[in-house]
Amino acid sequence: MTEIKDFLKTLISLPGLSGYEEPVREVISREWQPLVDELSVSRLGSLHALKRGISPEPRPRILLAAHMDAIGMMVTRITPEGLIAFTEVGGLDPRILPAQPVRVFGKEPLRGVIVQPSDRLLPPSQKGKPVEMKHLLIDTGLPAEEVRRLVKIGDPVAFDTEPLELPDELICGHTLDNRASVAALTVCLQTLRRATHDWDVYAVATAQEEETLGGGLTSPFEIRPTLAIAIDVTFAKGPGVNDYRGKTLDGGVVLGWGPQSHPRVFDDLKALAEHLDIPFEIEVYPRASGTDAYAMQIVAEGIPTMVVSIPLRYMHTPVEVVSLNDIRRVGRLLAEYILRLTPEDVQKITWEEA
Amino acid sequence: MKALIQKLVETVGPSGYEEKVREVVRAEIEGWVDEMKVDALGNLIARKGTRTEGGMRIALSAHMDEIGVIATHVDENGFVRFTTIGGVSPRTCIGGRVQFLNGVRGVIYMESLESATALPTLDQLYIDVGASSRETCPVKVGDIAAFDRPFLDLGGRLVSKAMDDRISVAVMIQALKELTATPHELYFIFSTQEEVGLRGATTAAYGVDPELALAVDVTRTGDTPKGVKMEVALGKGPAIKVRDSGMLSDPRVVRWMVETAEKAGIPYQLEVLEGGTTDARAMQLTRAGVPAGCLSIPTRYIHSPSEMVDYQDVQLSVRLLVALLSAPVTLK
Repeated sequence: MTEIKDFLKTLISLPGLSGYEEPVREVISREWQPLVDELSVSRLGSLHALKRGISPEPRPRILLAAHMDAIGMMVTRITPEGLIAFTEVGGLDPRILPAQPVRVFGKEPLRGVIVQPSDRLLPPSQKGKPVEMKHLLIDTGLPAEEVRRLVKIGDPVAFDTEPLELPDELICGHTLDNRASVAALTVCLQTLRRATHDWDVYAVATAQEEETLGGGLTSPFEIRPTLAIAIDVTFAKGPGVNDYRGKTLDGGVVLGWGPQSHPRVFDDLKALAEHLDIPFEIEVYPRASGTDAYAMQIVAEGIPTMVVSIPLRYMHTPVEVVSLNDIRRVGRLLAEYILRLTPEDVQKITWEEA
Repeated sequence: MKALIQKLVETVGPSGYEEKVREVVRAEIEGWVDEMKVDALGNLIARKGTRTEGGMRIALSAHMDEIGVIATHVDENGFVRFTTIGGVSPRTCIGGRVQFLNGVRGVIYMESLESATALPTLDQLYIDVGASSRETCPVKVGDIAAFDRPFLDLGGRLVSKAMDDRISVAVMIQALKELTATPHELYFIFSTQEEVGLRGATTAAYGVDPELALAVDVTRTGDTPKGVKMEVALGKGPAIKVRDSGMLSDPRVVRWMVETAEKAGIPYQLEVLEGGTTDARAMQLTRAGVPAGCLSIPTRYIHSPSEMVDYQDVQLSVRLLVALLSAPVTLK
């Protein structure tokens, strides 16, 4: 069983842009294979893992969804000089892009850096300001004809920063949104490995969350769970977010409270965290949770959902920071919750007053 | 094929009111398909072919609806205020003409603006149908109109309102007729309400439950003076969509389209569109998910009353569609 830190570092060293999740899917699949009974890939590219429960059929099912896709870039144009213009996939802040190392997935992977034209070459309205994405370019160092041979419009581009271990169990790198949650889901499966549980457990690494919530819309349709929980990251306190909007890094599990959180499930997870002495905070989201739960809730006839999050700093940058302690806590809380689920709990997840 | 294109673009059918277009399409494909039905959203769904060795259930979708306007208020002097159906920009309205479903025609103009260079907002525009009072105005609140602009044949290039997406409707009809043999069970969806949120394709795809889906729609170009930077141009062949702002094409579908085009010697362009999306998004996300892509027809001046396509691109799009649907598909 891989130590979760090493597995997470592997995960954030892999590409897997939304819609192009194959490289990371294969690694997750290998890691989960000994922990579950069945593995399959959905038509959209989400990884479905089933660990069977032991209660009589028809067994209730819990779906745990963590998206595996990464934000990144996509080639839009090659300049006559052989520099590569790009657009964003999944939401990027152009201010943090210049000078970032990237990898362009052309006919073969090419290393490159994002460069900005010198100030004097920019339109007057842009001078002295952060450069808009449409003016940024990727330099691979290759001659123009070589770039044109290897790279075409639509090729994916991924961040290429190495994972960094910071003091006190902190990890820094790109795509911790949401590979941190994939790691938490892995901790959950590792914890359940030798245990039996009543409910069927579907661990799902979803595809395309950053663009369309595609995995969240399609995987539950196939699985038809009794209950679905999205595991995602949320804003941790840090520069600029030191008020109620940020949660504490290394502060424990974040339980989402809002329209995609079923009150019975929320109450049970909160009570369980208290019982197990797992630190937690509550995050209020008034409308859309910004997670797969938003999609999963309205699939087919509707599914009770819940949102569990990991605090993360510097979201959607290549230097996202999370605490391994929080990842372990989320994994453990989910596992302990699953171990306690009984077939009778299905009747509990209703809208009847408790 | 030009006569078919002209007939389609000159038909009036804003989102939700596609009936006349549906009748034109139905008459065109009658006898060329195995089965036809109209679903609850008004989509015309035609099946052609039965599945044999190596075949799949494939959905193709081109939308019948066009952008338009809807009357919101008629003032005491008979001027009609309106709002939009789909993405209509005030810029393309001034001095334009509209035709209501009841045949009434009118011109769009604007209130006097603060400066001669300012652009009007939508609520500063009105339609003048030649009436002089509310009582005699032939337009009532809720009446619907499409932009009115005749089809223009420039030889190599064709211009009209509603090229988005009747040109694709024409491409699908032509491909359906030219397709002599297919191993697939094909569903040609002529969809409704695309311009207001891909609503027709959402239900049509759920109903068809395809294993593979392709939209046929228009895409922008980057080949006009100081236009947007985009590597798609008129006259360089059909575009194969890699992504748009609402969908990432399935990379396996993109590979299949590229390889088919190369094998058939059809020129093509790869498309990354930074604004807009197509029925492919709705089809990709239906049920448990569907591998999806889009064949795009490069089009200038989209959502203006003078949308321009290249006739050779159109014919090549038909050829590519026929090539794609004639042989078994392996997604890899």
